[in-house]
Amino acid sequence: MLRLSNLDLAEDGVPHLADISLDFRPGLTTLLGRTGAGKTTLLRAIAGLAHPFGQISFNGQDWAQLPPWHRPVAMVTQQFINYPHLNVLDNLAFPLIRRGEARAAALAAAETMLGRVGLAQMASRRPSELSGGQQQRVALARALVKGAPILLLDEPFVNLDYNLREGMREELMALLQSGGETTVIYASTDPREALRMGDQTVLMSEGRALQSGAPRAVFAAPAALAAARVVNDPPINILSARLDATSLDIDHLGPFPRDALPEDLPPGGYSLALRAEDIRQNGTVSARVALTEVSGSETVTHLQAGAQPLVMLERRVQSHPLGAEIRLALDLRRALIYGADGALIAKGAAHG
Amino acid sequence: MRTLYLALKYLAVTLWSAFVIFPFLWMLSTSFKTQNAVTGGATWLPWLQFEPSLAGWRALFGGAGGVNIVKPYLNSVVVTGTASAIALVLGTLAAYGLSRFSFRAGPIRNGDITFFFISQRIMPPIVLAIPFFLMLRWLGLLDSLPGLILVYVAALMPIAVWVMVDFFNTIPRALDEMAWMDGCTPVTTFIRVILPNVLPGLVVAGMFCLIFGWNDFFFAFTLTFTKTQLLPVSIVALNSSVTPWWSLSAAAIVSVAPLAVLAFVVERFLASGGLKGAVR
Amino acid sequence: MYRQKYIFLLPGLLVLIAVILFPLIFTIRVSFSSWDVYNPGLNDAGGAMYARMWEDARYWQALWRLSLLSVATVLIQYLLGFALALLVWRDIAARRFFRVLFLVPMMTTPVVMSVIWRTIFHESLGPLNPILEGLGIGAQPWLSHPGFAFVAVIIVEVWQWTPFMFLLLLAGLLSLPSEPFLAAKIDGAGPIRTFLSVTFPMMGAISVGAILIRAIEASKIMETVYVLTSGGPGTSTETVSYYIYIRGMRDFQIGYSAALSLTYLIIMAVALTLIAKALMRLMVRGAGA
Repeated sequence: MLRLSNLDLAEDGVPHLADISLDFRPGLTTLLGRTGAGKTTLLRAIAGLAHPFGQISFNGQDWAQLPPWHRPVAMVTQQFINYPHLNVLDNLAFPLIRRGEARAAALAAAETMLGRVGLAQMASRRPSELSGGQQQRVALARALVKGAPILLLDEPFVNLDYNLREGMREELMALLQSGGETTVIYASTDPREALRMGDQTVLMSEGRALQSGAPRAVFAAPAALAAARVVNDPPINILSARLDATSLDIDHLGPFPRDALPEDLPPGGYSLALRAEDIRQNGTVSARVALTEVSGSETVTHLQAGAQPLVMLERRVQSHPLGAEIRLALDLRRALIYGADGALIAKGAAHG
Repeated sequence: MRTLYLALKYLAVTLWSAFVIFPFLWMLSTSFKTQNAVTGGATWLPWLQFEPSLAGWRALFGGAGGVNIVKPYLNSVVVTGTASAIALVLGTLAAYGLSRFSFRAGPIRNGDITFFFISQRIMPPIVLAIPFFLMLRWLGLLDSLPGLILVYVAALMPIAVWVMVDFFNTIPRALDEMAWMDGCTPVTTFIRVILPNVLPGLVVAGMFCLIFGWNDFFFAFTLTFTKTQLLPVSIVALNSSVTPWWSLSAAAIVSVAPLAVLAFVVERFLASGGLKGAVR
Repeated sequence: MYRQKYIFLLPGLLVLIAVILFPLIFTIRVSFSSWDVYNPGLNDAGGAMYARMWEDARYWQALWRLSLLSVATVLIQYLLGFALALLVWRDIAARRFFRVLFLVPMMTTPVVMSVIWRTIFHESLGPLNPILEGLGIGAQPWLSHPGFAFVAVIIVEVWQWTPFMFLLLLAGLLSLPSEPFLAAKIDGAGPIRTFLSVTFPMMGAISVGAILIRAIEASKIMETVYVLTSGGPGTSTETVSYYIYIRGMRDFQIGYSAALSLTYLIIMAVALTLIAKALMRLMVRGAGA
């Protein structure tokens, strides 16, 4: 087990890691957070490339004094990094030879791995003679060939185009199936990717680990407002609500039926987090279209209801003219309810 | 208009070429002259204007007029080669350290250390000549090859640092880190991963060291007397009132020829963009 | 964590400190002594050497002469080097041949070539005066007249080091992006306007670098002078380095030459820094004040 305790790292007053304590077990853990959330720093700390305060230990062994070259870690980064002066096969054999394996055995293992990532014909090419996708596959193969017990993947496919990304993800999952006891940590900015891939997911924001657990559970009940922001793409709508015994009033939008929220919720001010797919057309709230994006078979529309920005997700291709007025239905019974301190208090009535 | 422009262009290039070649042709011609041909006034063409002779060339190897530059030549080769190699090794190591790790001692940071290295090129040799003289005398290394090598290492290392820091800065740190995670210590990373990727830089730096080392006169002149002469010193020693121009020219040719060949190498790098790192 | 990092830096740094920094510090101490042939060793002479320097007109004249010489040679080298780089940059037959040829002088040993130049300048036996006579200009007293001797030194320095300027500027030209030139062509700009508004501004930083490197080297001029004129006729071509050499290595006035050296070093460092700043402001677009 890889155990991180109280990791802290700040540079020029900007926190990169703030009081992070996490346990990673064999299997795939996704690290989900926006750019700048501290994911890369965390992975670099595990690899020994960043030096936070706090403890890192693996299977009971303290890693404080262990330099990167002694840590059983493999990493793939966003950039396609391979050894420019070695051909593809030698790139893969390099870590094995450095570890003391015989050259012939290392080359044989490298060749096998190269076949598995489908680059057997490229063995004698230089990395610079390959396409971006092929280069990243070489980098991935070089990380895998070592059979390191810890595999760190830092948004490995983010610089590839969409189709390639999907394909590579499938390949990676297939390769990891045979991985056995490997602890894989996969950093991502894409909630869907994280939800689809992980056995466990960790939400990060501003250097903090907000929440960890099974992806579905985390997604269903983000423990804090910040967590709700991280796990939702398109961004989740945050509404500020005032509740008393008989009425529910939402800033900028006006009154809503009281029974959308649980009966036992005490009166007071709340933040309601409403997913983009829980806003539909044909309701009573009037809003103006500010931006429409179609991606795949989905349409994301950014709207402005008075001073309140709203995001609506429709699972079909739809075009809304800019500036057009649309009447929206907000399904507040599906909202997540957060208190003044940002902690999850309850869910809307529809969650049961 | 266009023809005139082209004509002027070729005229300019031709004129400068003539200026560049002029001293070389003169010394080539002079090296085959005899005393009579020299004192008879300036002439250029052998057989037509003077009877060519190999006397000047024979004198280089201790023939009549005995100047024997064989030993100074070997001394120059040994000193320049050894000092360049050591300066290249030390300078490359230091440049790599400065480009990759942070060092601090009190208020001193990497930038200051790099500046300290490179700023040595500003130092006029004369400022160091006297302390060098006293230092080598104290070490018993005056007029000796090791003494000269020591001085040249210090004089050439800043060049190597200057060129190599730029080259190392073009190599992403991520490559070093990848090597670390593949089990390389910083030293093996440097040898196995980084050096193979800065070979053009090493060639450029090595070339500059050789040029400046081979062409230096001042330190060789002030720190040696008779036992350990370097080539430029022995050639300048011929430059007296009764100068034997023929052997002087022959000696100049053999002294200048090996490095003139480097112009081809430099042009190669120029064409391939390999000097980009060295500009700026 | 990375204790190995010292393996890289320390060997070179220690050599440099031992061979350059210590001698330099030692020189400071020596400059406050009157170490010479009669009183060898470190004694305490206070600022006597500096006071003597203050009165030494020959030193200050040499400094002034060096400044003139440096400015003149570097300026000529820059203009010629830039012109040559532009000439063989593109659109010329056999450009690689010319490039190699133009580079050759900087590869040659300056002091050896100076010896050859001395024979060329020889007033009765050298080849230069007959050529000038053929052109109708007439023979000139190249090395025996102060003005001509000064010009002779400049000619040799220009021959030797214009190639260095040429090398850096040509490397700069070859690394320029091609888009701005395309844009200028589309705008219908002629060669002169293209040069003034595209080429020259983009070469600003490289120009400053090349000029500074040459200015640093020019501030040390002494070998050419030593071989060509021995500072003469009289002291008319004596540079600072050469004068210090005479005082220190020939007259063995160690203490005095140490004071002269340090003053020279400081003046040069300050002057070059000021020149660097002025050039940056003048030639590099967007460089802060």
